[in-house]
Amino acid sequence: MIDPRRIIMVAALLGAVGIWLLLPRGKVRGRLLGLALGAVGLGLLASQMPGLGDWVAQSLFAVLAAVTVVSAAAAITLRNPVYCAIWFGMSLLGTAGLLLFQGAQFLAVATVVVYAGAILVIFLFLLMLAEPGGRAPYDRVTWEGLVSAFAGAFIAGILSMTVTSVLAPRAGSIELSQWEPVEPPVAVTDQQRQQGILADNHMQQIGGALFDGRQPTREGQSPKPGYLIAVEVAGVLLLAALVGAAVIVGRGRQALSGPRVEPAGSPSPGGPPDE
Amino acid sequence: MNNGELALLNDYLVVGAILFGLGVIGFLSRRNMIVMFLAVEMMLQGVSLSLVAWGRFYNDLAGQILVLFIIAVAACEAAIALALILVLFYRRGTLDVIAWQDLREADQPPYAEEEFPEGPEEVPPRWPSLTPAGRPPETPRPQTDYRPHV
Repeated sequence: MIDPRRIIMVAALLGAVGIWLLLPRGKVRGRLLGLALGAVGLGLLASQMPGLGDWVAQSLFAVLAAVTVVSAAAAITLRNPVYCAIWFGMSLLGTAGLLLFQGAQFLAVATVVVYAGAILVIFLFLLMLAEPGGRAPYDRVTWEGLVSAFAGAFIAGILSMTVTSVLAPRAGSIELSQWEPVEPPVAVTDQQRQQGILADNHMQQIGGALFDGRQPTREGQSPKPGYLIAVEVAGVLLLAALVGAAVIVGRGRQALSGPRVEPAGSPSPGGPPDE
Repeated sequence: MNNGELALLNDYLVVGAILFGLGVIGFLSRRNMIVMFLAVEMMLQGVSLSLVAWGRFYNDLAGQILVLFIIAVAACEAAIALALILVLFYRRGTLDVIAWQDLREADQPPYAEEEFPEGPEEVPPRWPSLTPAGRPPETPRPQTDYRPHV
């Protein structure tokens, strides 16, 4: 049997080459090959993941994870920035589904509302200022596509390899030759989890943990302080960001009345909108 | 120890790592400032997935609460960064980061501009059209004389 770590390494390499072929390089050739390589890498990686046991849960997770990862890859490789933003929204929906799958209901809804509802709309609004058709020359080339593809694949590959080689043997699907089991510091039973993080009164639990620091799941341990001060600080941060954004844009428009500095040798498709 | 929970943790950590890696690739390689910012948000999504998975594994809500704060900070970050990008776009008229390469260190060589590929590389889309069939419909003759009322 081949060491699963080698398979994950090969999968990361295939994914890196595939992403490099998919990234805009000024040519169209090789994109289908990149798609095929990326799909093979993803399949190899998925074959090394331990199964969840239940086939319904397994297939649901597989669909959600595939949607998330494939849309994320499309969001960074497409030439047209509007398509990038829309595929990023699709990836966010996949992420929200994955969060819901974990029982984090509030976070799933918050991700959809805040990211897909607010931030993504601002992205699209900003993109309308620029050249939306993917015709801008800087959208058709990349910096150092090969090096950055291998850098990202290195990070993802090392993380997956480490995680899988530690956790997968305990999950019982993969056997490694040298494996010393390590007990996690907190052993949680299914019943505790059902009463704790997967409980029906999820919102109540989140609120209690956020404001009172009371987590009924952690009996026997000293109660932690709540996050009341952190919530206040986050509110102040939001206010400061609001004021800051208004000030930055206002100052920027004022400065436009002065002479504009054109960079030497840079293409300037379509000047800025007139005041 | 339940095996399913370990497998779930493993799978989520791997998906989070892939999202993070894709975000790194996008941030390093793309030149459109908005796409670079999208890539940063993607990295945050990967980290959020990992935190929620660990929180479920240890039956601790702190992971989800940290992700809540990540979302709040990401909203602030998006507001500030998009305002900055708007100002930068007003100044130079382009979203290309190379337009700001004069902010580099004094002794650094400038980025050697490559030859841009000329023209749109994609073939223009062909829209479906119907073959003409039958006789042309009779159009009403335009009214040329004066009509006081319609």
